[in-house]
Amino acid sequence: MVDRRSDAEDGSRAKRQKMDKTGTDPKDNPYLAHMYADASPNGNEWAADKDSPFAKVKRHQSTAAQAQKIEDGDINPFNGQPYSSKYFSILKTRRDLPVHAQRDEFLQLYQKSQILVFVGETGSGKTTQIPQFVLFDDQPQSQRKMVACTQPRRVAAMSVAQRVAAELDVKLGEEVGYSIRFEDMTSPKTCLKYMTDGMLLREAMNDHNLNRYSTIILDEAHERTMATDVLMGLLKEVVQRRPDLKIIIMSATLDAQKFQRYFNDAPLLAVPGRTHPVEIFYTPEPEQDYVEAAIRTVLQIHATEADGDILLFLTGEEEIEDAARKISLEADEMVREVDAGPLKVYTLYGSLPPHMQQRIFDPAPPPRRPGGRPGRKVIVSTNIAETSLTIDGIVYVVDPGFSKQKIYNPRIRVESLLVSPISKASAQQRAGRAGRTRPGKCFRLYTEGAFKKELIDQTYPEILRSNLSSTVLELKKLGIDDLVHFDLMDPPAPETLMRALEELNYLACLDDDGNLTQLGRLASEFPLDPAVAVMLISSPEFYCSNEILSITALLSVPQVFVRPASQRKRADEMKNLFAHPDGDHLTLLNVYHAFKGQDAQENPKQWCHDHFLSLRSLQSADNVRMQLLRIMEREELEMVSTPFEDKKYYENIRRALCAGFFMQVAKKEAQGKSKYTTIKDNQNVLLHPSTVLSYDADWVVYNEFVLTTKNYIRTVTAVKPEWLIDIAPTYYDITSFPKGEIRSALLRAAERLSRKEKMRSDSSRKR
Amino acid sequence: MAPHQNPAPDVGDEEEDDYMSMVIEEPQQKETFTQKKRRQQREAEARAKVPSKAERAAQEAERRDAALATSTLNPSNKGFQMMAKLGFKPGQALGKSQGERVSNQKSDSKIGGRAEPLNLVFKEDRGGIGLDTEKKRKFREEAEEAVKKVKQEEGDYRDRVRIERETRRTEAQFHAAQKVAERLDAEAETGDGKTVQTKRGKTPTEHEEEESEDTTSGSNNPQPKVKVKPTSQVNILYRGLVREREEKERSIQARHLLQTSLPSSFFPNPRLPGYDDDPTLEREDKVALDNKPDISTILEQELDEEDPELDEFNALEPSERLARIVQYLRETHHYCFWCKFRYETGEMEGCPGVTEEDHD
Repeated sequence: MVDRRSDAEDGSRAKRQKMDKTGTDPKDNPYLAHMYADASPNGNEWAADKDSPFAKVKRHQSTAAQAQKIEDGDINPFNGQPYSSKYFSILKTRRDLPVHAQRDEFLQLYQKSQILVFVGETGSGKTTQIPQFVLFDDQPQSQRKMVACTQPRRVAAMSVAQRVAAELDVKLGEEVGYSIRFEDMTSPKTCLKYMTDGMLLREAMNDHNLNRYSTIILDEAHERTMATDVLMGLLKEVVQRRPDLKIIIMSATLDAQKFQRYFNDAPLLAVPGRTHPVEIFYTPEPEQDYVEAAIRTVLQIHATEADGDILLFLTGEEEIEDAARKISLEADEMVREVDAGPLKVYTLYGSLPPHMQQRIFDPAPPPRRPGGRPGRKVIVSTNIAETSLTIDGIVYVVDPGFSKQKIYNPRIRVESLLVSPISKASAQQRAGRAGRTRPGKCFRLYTEGAFKKELIDQTYPEILRSNLSSTVLELKKLGIDDLVHFDLMDPPAPETLMRALEELNYLACLDDDGNLTQLGRLASEFPLDPAVAVMLISSPEFYCSNEILSITALLSVPQVFVRPASQRKRADEMKNLFAHPDGDHLTLLNVYHAFKGQDAQENPKQWCHDHFLSLRSLQSADNVRMQLLRIMEREELEMVSTPFEDKKYYENIRRALCAGFFMQVAKKEAQGKSKYTTIKDNQNVLLHPSTVLSYDADWVVYNEFVLTTKNYIRTVTAVKPEWLIDIAPTYYDITSFPKGEIRSALLRAAERLSRKEKMRSDSSRKR
Repeated sequence: MAPHQNPAPDVGDEEEDDYMSMVIEEPQQKETFTQKKRRQQREAEARAKVPSKAERAAQEAERRDAALATSTLNPSNKGFQMMAKLGFKPGQALGKSQGERVSNQKSDSKIGGRAEPLNLVFKEDRGGIGLDTEKKRKFREEAEEAVKKVKQEEGDYRDRVRIERETRRTEAQFHAAQKVAERLDAEAETGDGKTVQTKRGKTPTEHEEEESEDTTSGSNNPQPKVKVKPTSQVNILYRGLVREREEKERSIQARHLLQTSLPSSFFPNPRLPGYDDDPTLEREDKVALDNKPDISTILEQELDEEDPELDEFNALEPSERLARIVQYLRETHHYCFWCKFRYETGEMEGCPGVTEEDHD
């Protein structure tokens, strides 16, 4: 324990690094942490302390006044240290938040009911304050339990935890921590834990009643992520088994009645947000080109509207960078020609490195000369800025009405990101962003009629837009057997469930009766897609678990290859240094091996820069690999490699890839270069131009089916049909294939296979 | 991520190539030589034909759309079987037992236990929200209008064609009836002891006001030609026929006159050689050519006269005119135009009736 403390006092950053690298202590395993909770009671000692300010406050009977008294004290009740001066200044701003005014009201409802629906508009302070209100009343530490607050996004979980730690004047990772996939920032002292909803779900797999928690807060429930939806279904059952568990569903939108109904008419508390009126403008006619229209609108605002920053919503990185460049050019001209104020353009999207994302908070540029026209900043963003990030100073919002949305269709078994119209709720959320600091304006690049008629009311919940195989595996592990009647808020289409069950059956994770197999149970331990988990689990059979583990890690992180628009040729040359003729998976492996080599490790940053690789992605892959390695070791999966000199080194890896990706296979068509047909679904696809595959392989496995105006398969590696028949005989049951090219190719392969086997058995008989 | 374009790294992979290109016999045996040859030819043709990008894109989209539109719920599917074991039946939605869900569905009935997966909608351009609908609406409106127009025209056209056809037919029948009437009348007149010549020659030699003098017609003329009398005195029922014939004659004469009067040195003989022998010329023409020009002037005078009675008659519907003439034939000659038979008595025993339909 002493060690841990001194560790922690190194400061959060150092500690995180250290934690990332510490070996295989099962105590560090986030999924098992509760098993060790009792082993370190010191973390909860202070709660029993008679001198603790909490001693006088009765659990679940406290009032706002009592809580404030503790907050106003000199000693921090959570760590016994005197409050810092910064604490009090933060406290002052906290008291100004809209939720604060309703603290008593909240407490009464919270104490009275097991499930509470809380609606707080953006800016009400609910995400930071409500968990603290709960903390003071629920006193989880006295029960050796915790308060959990889920967030749909990792970044939000991290940043909110950091903020709340500061508000409570404690060190992040101690009393207040967070837990996200591949990163656990908690300690045995943690009593308030921010976490991704996915993490809570994973914990539930090993702890069906979520016994570690006294209160669970599902934040941003209106976003309806897959994990939140599953958690809601699960918690509905858990509350019946655990009367002591309290649930708060927090939503930012007013369609909270749906949540109320779903939770058997749970009480509702609504807190107004601190927002200003936003005037909404529509275009008289539909736009021919929404990007052009958006650029024009931004420039017009800059030319004619009073000062205030602009937020423009577009769909993806390329579109955003393109628009930002155009706006910049035009704005410079305006400055020269009509003496407009300076306009600074920032971009914001998920794959942008954090330090670049931070720039959006830079203040708007000053006037070019004293007394000149004021400067302005414009942020061109994906829908990240719609909910998860709050940027003050935005007065004008330009909303073309589109976003990139994930969508899955079980009929062609493709999950893809498609540019789609947003929902009315989304449009309102976007408009609301203009009213954070003062009354604002929202320019919708569509007609009012289109808003009313074309936009759906609510964005479809993720569960309707996703492949369910991971979720089904999780649900099975959670002990939910009747998936057909599982009480989800929005049950998906039967075909989606059918496909998931079928897929898991092919992967041998479920038997024909739908029961979890040993392999399925094992696969559910990995926070991975079931197919990838199965690949990893079976990799020791192919003597390449080390390599498959690396490949898996690399597939779980953002793209490692960097290809700046200005240096595409050079970047491609560098990529070719690592290229393996048999495909992209092997190329990724080469990259990783080079990255771990001595040359690279001497100065990773420089090395990555020179080779057009993303250091962040590679480090993150390294981290993921470590986490997965722990699970592999825990599950006693052997870590083996074929000697590199062995000519079967790469072949073994390719075979192992088949073990997971055998349902993601395409066969080359008889005619046309790079033209393939997917197996079973018979979709025409092209190899993605980024592939390094050096020849037109007859059969390939692919990691991703990218749906755009063209169908692409991305990250491909050449395989042989014999392997597929050998490794996945049920899926490649030739009788199930219709007559055609694919069937005859499989027949030929089967023939070769049986001939080979015959030869082998013949020769062994001779011996 | 931005797409990468890589030149293929030149790493040899002979072993793989060898392996993959190994010659393996088609598993299906017993293919005759010709069959094989034909198949190879077919295959070669298919291979030779590289689909264009557009064709490929169309095929791609077609396959995708077809797959997206087809339900995959199938009792032979393992996943389906697992669901069936839990009580799932096709057509049902997932989720908590139906009854409860229905009560919950009031406000958002669209969500909650959906039967169909969400469809994939591909956005291929940068058109703003509502543009497609607007375009579609306009397109639909235009299309609807076009369809309407076409339909209208189509209906019109059909009717028109039908009416025209009927009219033509009736006119032809009327014309035939006129001829019959003219002939019968002429026969009747002859029978009455009037001019015999009427049957022979039709050509009006000299114009005289007296009908009896209106001479001759060619005896070998298959058409019975009546004596010429001032058209105004011809029975109104077939006056048109007579008049038409006369007009035709006049125009031929006029042409002939024009030609004979040509003051050209190129045609010293105003009468073109062999003109008379032209077999294409009708007898009337010959007759006309033989005749002196003065006739034409007389005819002309007459033809130029207005004939309000005839105009009025011609203004009648063809069917009406036909009916009248048929009636006339029956009453005057006991002739049934439809039976093509002249009855002995006025009762016309054996004739089914007065209309064409009666004779069907």
